[in-house]
Amino acid sequence: MSRFWRRNRHWLTPVLFLLPGLILFGSVILAASVETIWISLHAWDGIGQKTWVGLANYLELADDPQFYVSLKNNVIWLLIFMLAPPVGLALALIVNQQIRGMRILKSLFFIPLVLATVTVGVVFGWVYDPNFGLLQLFFGVFGSTAPALLSDENFVTFAVAAAGLWPQIAFCMVLFLAGLNNLNDDLIAAGRVDGARGWRMLRHVVLPQLSQVGFIAIAVTVIGALRSFDMVAVMTNGGPYGSSTVLAYQMYEESIFSYRFGYGAAIATVLFVIMIAFIAWYLHGLVKAERSNA
Amino acid sequence: MSSVELRKVDKHYVGYHALQVIDLKIEKGEFVVMVGPSGCGKSTLLRTIAGIETISSGQILINGRDVTREEPGDRGIAMVFQSYALYPHMTVAENMGFGLRMANRPKAEIDAAVRRAAQILRLEEQLTKRPKQLSGGQRQRVAIGRAITRSPEVFLFDEPLSNLDAALRTQMRVELSSLHAQLGSTMIYVTHDQVEAMTMADRIVVLNKGRIEQVGSPLELYANPANIFVAGFLGAPRMNFIEATVAAVDASGVSVMAAGLPTLTFGGVEASGLSAGDAVTVGIRPENLRVVDKTGADMPAFPGQVRLVEQLGRETILYLDASPLQATNSDSGTGNFTLQLNKVSTLRTGAVLEVGFEIGEAYLFGPDGRTLTPRKGIA
Repeated sequence: MSRFWRRNRHWLTPVLFLLPGLILFGSVILAASVETIWISLHAWDGIGQKTWVGLANYLELADDPQFYVSLKNNVIWLLIFMLAPPVGLALALIVNQQIRGMRILKSLFFIPLVLATVTVGVVFGWVYDPNFGLLQLFFGVFGSTAPALLSDENFVTFAVAAAGLWPQIAFCMVLFLAGLNNLNDDLIAAGRVDGARGWRMLRHVVLPQLSQVGFIAIAVTVIGALRSFDMVAVMTNGGPYGSSTVLAYQMYEESIFSYRFGYGAAIATVLFVIMIAFIAWYLHGLVKAERSNA
Repeated sequence: MSSVELRKVDKHYVGYHALQVIDLKIEKGEFVVMVGPSGCGKSTLLRTIAGIETISSGQILINGRDVTREEPGDRGIAMVFQSYALYPHMTVAENMGFGLRMANRPKAEIDAAVRRAAQILRLEEQLTKRPKQLSGGQRQRVAIGRAITRSPEVFLFDEPLSNLDAALRTQMRVELSSLHAQLGSTMIYVTHDQVEAMTMADRIVVLNKGRIEQVGSPLELYANPANIFVAGFLGAPRMNFIEATVAAVDASGVSVMAAGLPTLTFGGVEASGLSAGDAVTVGIRPENLRVVDKTGADMPAFPGQVRLVEQLGRETILYLDASPLQATNSDSGTGNFTLQLNKVSTLRTGAVLEVGFEIGEAYLFGPDGRTLTPRKGIA
């Protein structure tokens, strides 16, 4: 036994360490994805027999107006979420100043990160409430009434995405704060000796050092926007009349409420393909950054 | 008008006095080297001149102008960092031209300045590369080039050679000295390497625990150290010290007793305040010791046993166990003596020999560490 171990441990040790992760990844991610794609080629109510239908689910999807609403809403989420990295960076730069009381301000900005997304959804639901909400209070000051954002199909997705943006900004701020902590002091000093200050110090010396953190912030934000689900479920259930659904929510609704697991799986597969494109871009960037650091 | 003048510069950190009332004048075109052990405040002092760190009190003048409250970029200085601190996302040319760009100089002027600096430093081939693609020595040159393009009144160097290997360090030392001759600018150079200090400096400033111990030309400091710290810090191998007590103070001088040595009499000593029984230290440089005949020794001598022989080719360094002499040497430890011979020696470990020295070449340090022996001519 021990001789076998000694002769083979150069490859056995890494394999043993990798095994738990590989098993977990293989069963939860890989097998589940493959099965989802398999299911998407069937008609299935979730309990009974699966019936092979080939690409029928996808063909139906291509003609489903609800699918295009979801896709459009995902794009809206994506555009609104793109505010998170720059706003997070700006906040990080502000709370990173050595001013008295900044620590309290910093911890206040952290709050949305510790809140469960459901809580954020519920709280924003109240804020938007036209009867007693914060928004109504604000509009009341000017003697007008707040629009009922969550029941207006033109505003509802913007309102929900704005609620989701709040914790995303806090997340980006934390990323950039960590990046600011890792700035090279000598480079800043060299910049000062070279006469760079204010905006030009930020632009030419500080921001280039944050480029990797910025890349991670953007990638994580893109993925966060694409997989948005919980906020929609808590605040609107996709309503009114399905006008605020996103792909992830539509998949959930088709599968769980309409017992159309095959159709839901087809939506999931489409979302999966969109995600893969972004993840490939993300990994490509990461590998490139690591190579240039080596 | 001095190029750089420090007036009572003082810097406190919480619970730590980093710089203690530093007064210093540096003349135009001078190459001044600040040396001292780690934590002596030399880098802090340089960074306060640069303006990267503020001072608690005092004044800093550059070309007669009070710059104490000015930003580094306005002081007319350029600095070369130990880590080089090159901007990794810029090419060599962009790195070197960045200071002029920040000063809003026209592009043609920046290009000309970069080309001139690149020519001086033989970097013409590297201008479009990024710092990552360069060797350590080339990065060092780019850092110097970035300083040159700004054509500053004062160059500041913070241990610029300490990240280079020994051969490259020697080469860059020579190049920096000739660069100084070529540009004629004031240069302030911080190092912990006394060879760099001795070889490059017009004047050396020896710092210890946030204070200036002594300022002077390299040979002046070597021949006439103001105190035991400077004596021990400059010179390689380092000076030997022997613990001793004052036997008598009279008109002929100060008589000193040390275990294992005959009574030594130092003539012409500033003996004020010194009395019999005071603890003093005798210092002898390794090159001033010689191997003598046991019989006809007409100089103070003591026996020693060879512990280690270092052959350097032209020179030989002997490490001796010289007990019962109470000797200390920071190179070889307590109880040891270092001796430098200017020839190849056949002596081996274990050999017992008699070592002597001229009293006129020895130093006497008082109880407070001050040098008591009269000034010696510079060799």
